[in-house]
Amino acid sequence: MIRREGRSNRHFRRSMKTETVAMILAGGQGSRLGKLTKQIAKPAVPFGGNYRIIDFALSNCANSGINNVGVVTQYQPLVLNRHVGNGSSWGLNRHNGGATILQPYSSVDGEKFFKGTSHAVYQNINFIDRQNPDYVVILSGDHIYKMDYEKMLDFHKEKAASLTVGVMPVEWEEASRFGVMNTDRTDRITEFQEKPDEPKSNLASMGIYIFNWPRLKQYLIDNQSKNRQMDDFGHHVIPAYLRNSESVYAYSFKGYWKDVGTVESLWQANMEFLNPEHELDIRDSKWKIYSQNPNTTPQFLTNTAKVKNSMITDGCYVAGEVDHSILSHNVKVGKHSVIKDSVIMPGAVIGENVKIEKAIIGENANIYDGATIIGDNGEISVVGYGEEVGGYKDAE
Amino acid sequence: MRNDIAAIFNLVENDEKLRPLTNRRPIASLPFACRYRLIDFPFSSLYNAEAVSAALFISESGHSLYDHIRSGATWGLDSIAGGGVFTHSQIRLKTNSTDEDFTPAYYDDHYKYVTKSKADYVLLMGSSVLSNMHLDSLINYHNEKQSEVTIAYKNVPRTILIEDSVYNHYTFDEEKAGNITAVNPVAETPMNDDMISLGIEVMVINKKTFLDYLQKAREQNLCVSVNSFSKLALEDGDPMYGYEYTGYLKPIEDLKSYFEANMDMLNEDNFNALFYRADPVLTRSQNSAPSYYGEEAAIHNSQVANDCEVYGEVTNSLLFRKVKVAESAKVENSIVMKNCYIEEGATLNYVILDKHVYVKKGAHLEGTPENPIVIGKNEIVEEDGTLMRG
Repeated sequence: MIRREGRSNRHFRRSMKTETVAMILAGGQGSRLGKLTKQIAKPAVPFGGNYRIIDFALSNCANSGINNVGVVTQYQPLVLNRHVGNGSSWGLNRHNGGATILQPYSSVDGEKFFKGTSHAVYQNINFIDRQNPDYVVILSGDHIYKMDYEKMLDFHKEKAASLTVGVMPVEWEEASRFGVMNTDRTDRITEFQEKPDEPKSNLASMGIYIFNWPRLKQYLIDNQSKNRQMDDFGHHVIPAYLRNSESVYAYSFKGYWKDVGTVESLWQANMEFLNPEHELDIRDSKWKIYSQNPNTTPQFLTNTAKVKNSMITDGCYVAGEVDHSILSHNVKVGKHSVIKDSVIMPGAVIGENVKIEKAIIGENANIYDGATIIGDNGEISVVGYGEEVGGYKDAE
Repeated sequence: MRNDIAAIFNLVENDEKLRPLTNRRPIASLPFACRYRLIDFPFSSLYNAEAVSAALFISESGHSLYDHIRSGATWGLDSIAGGGVFTHSQIRLKTNSTDEDFTPAYYDDHYKYVTKSKADYVLLMGSSVLSNMHLDSLINYHNEKQSEVTIAYKNVPRTILIEDSVYNHYTFDEEKAGNITAVNPVAETPMNDDMISLGIEVMVINKKTFLDYLQKAREQNLCVSVNSFSKLALEDGDPMYGYEYTGYLKPIEDLKSYFEANMDMLNEDNFNALFYRADPVLTRSQNSAPSYYGEEAAIHNSQVANDCEVYGEVTNSLLFRKVKVAESAKVENSIVMKNCYIEEGATLNYVILDKHVYVKKGAHLEGTPENPIVIGKNEIVEEDGTLMRG
C-alpha cells in the first residue's frame, strides 16, 4: 500500500490490489426503534438533520481510504438502497471500487437469507472473493462515530493478528448490552462474553472487526459444511477463534461512539449532536460526513420565526418557534407553533399552533393545526413515518 | 429524454455594470438566492424539458462557471446518448466588439455543434434575465404557429429596466396575433409607465433556419444571439412569433437590479413563483452540515443556506453557505456570499459581500437600497471600514 502524505489526501490513498474490503451489516430491523423502523431499516433512519445513520460508517470508509464497500441489507431495504446507490455520494464510485448493495437472493443452493452477522458474510463470500482482499473490515451500519479504520488496520498488521476487535469502555450498567472482553498486557483478548448477564469487564465490543480474509473464510466454510453453528460473530466466531488460540486483539477506540438502537439513545444522540462543541465536530472539513444531498431551496425563516440553539437544514420553512431542536430538510413549521427538545425528520409538515416537546417526528409526518405532542415521564414521544396527527380525524 | 433540442448559450454578456462581482466570473455564474448561480435557471429549464445537451460560448476563462457545471450531471446533461456540455471559450470575443474580434472558429463551433446533433430545434439562451421558463410550452407554441423563430417575452413596465438597457422589446402585428413586426432596443424607448413586451433572451428556431442565419452572421460578423437573429428573421420576412411568459422575471443589468433580484426572494410570492413551480430548480449539490443558530440568535425574514453559524442578528438578508455571524453582529438588508465571517459587533446594512470577506469586530458598513455597498472577494474590512486585501 502506498502511504498517503498528510490528512488532506485521504481520498487519494490507493492500493495496487484490493487490500481491504469493508462489509457494512445493515440488515437489522432495529425493532427497539419502534415506529421509526416500521418501514425502513435502522441504518436508513435519519440523523442530525442532514444524514442517515449509515452515513457515518460509509463516510468513515471513504475517509479511511477503503473504496470497496459491501452494504448487506435485508429488512425493508428500499430507502436504504436508494440512499446508498452506487456510493457516489461518498465518493466511493471509483476505479475498482464502489459501494455494492448485497441483498439476500435465491440460488440453486437455496435461499440466502441471513441468520446472523457472520452468516450474512458467509452468504456473500462470492462478493468478497471477487476482490480477493487480504483483510475484511466488518462494520455495523447503526453507529454514530468518526473513526479511521486504517489506524486499526495498522494495529492489526503490527500485531500480526488474525482478528482485531474494536473496543471501548462503557458504563458498567450498560455492559451487559454488549460483547465484553478481558485482555492481557499486549492487548490480546483472553476472554470474551457476548451480552453476559454478569459482565466481568466493561471493555465492550463496538461491533467493528478486522479479519484476515482467507482465515475467516475457512472458518465460515468449514463449520458450515460440518453443520456447526457459525452464524454470529459475537456468539460463535469470536469464541471459536479464542478456543483455537487464534491471535485475537483488542483495538481501543477513543472518541465519540454511540449505538443508537433505541428511541431514547437516538433522541439523546441527536440532542448531543446539537451542541456546537460536540466531539464529532461535524463541520471539520478534514473528516467530512457525506450524505446524499437533496436538491432543495435555502432555509426560509419568516418574520414570525424564533430560532435558538437549533440546527436547521435546507428546504425548511419556519414561521414558528424552534428551541433546542433539529429540523431536517424540507420541514415546515407554521405560525405560533413551538418545537422544543425535539428531532423533526425530513419532509415533516407541522401546522400552526402545534406544540411539540421531547419528541421525534418521523419522515413526511403531518402534524395538523393545534396538535400537541409532548413526551413525558422520561419517555420520548414518537410519531412514525408518514403518520398524521390531529386534523379532521381527531376533531370533535 | 428528447434529443430534438440543441441549446446554445450566448454567455458573452455585458457585465460592466455588475463589477466588481463580475471581475472574475461571467454573469451566468453570479451567485443567487443562497445556493444558486444564475445559469441554474436556464439549465433547470433544459432539465425539465428533458434536453440532453448544451453548448456554451463564453469570452473569459470561465473557471467559476465550469467549476459549477462540472459534467452537467446535475441537470441530466451527461447522458451517453447524445448528451454533453460543450464549452467554447473565445478569449478575444467581447460584447460591442469590432469586426476583427470574431474568428472563423466562433461560427465553425456553432455549425459543428448544431449539425452534429440530431436536433430539430435550436434554442438560443442567455443567463442575465432571471426567469423559470417552461420550454415544452414554448416549443408547442412554436409548432402550433408553424413558426420559424419564436421569442419568449413578458409584458413589463419600461421603468423596471435601466436607461441604457441592452435588451429589446417587440411590436406585434395586430391582426395575426403574436407575429413580431419590429425589434426595438429598450435603450431607445422613453422611460415612462408604458408597458413593453420585453424579450427574455430565449429563442427557439428551426435547425435549417438557424444554419441559414449562422451563414449570414458569419458574412456580416454578427454575434450569435437572440438580438441579431431576431433582426435577421425580420430582414428575411420569416414567420417570427412571440410567446408570452407570465412567471417571475428580473433582468440583472447592474448592481442595483442584482441586489433587488436577491431581495425579491424574501417575498414569499416571488420565492414561490421561482422555486415552487411544477419544475424544480436544480443546482450542483454540495456536501454540507445543517446550519446552527445559537442561544442569542435572532433571525427574521431571511434565507440561509446550510453550513452557516448564526449567533447574532440577521434581518431581511440572504446568507450563502458557510457564513458565520458572531454574537452581537448585525446583518440587515444584505447579501452575504459563501465563506464570509462577520465578527462581534460588526454591522451591515444594504451591503453585498462577495465570497470570503472578513468583517472585523465593530466595523460598520452602511449602503442604501439604491446604492448597496459591494465588497469584493477576499477583502478584509477593518474596524474603521478600510479594506485590506485578504
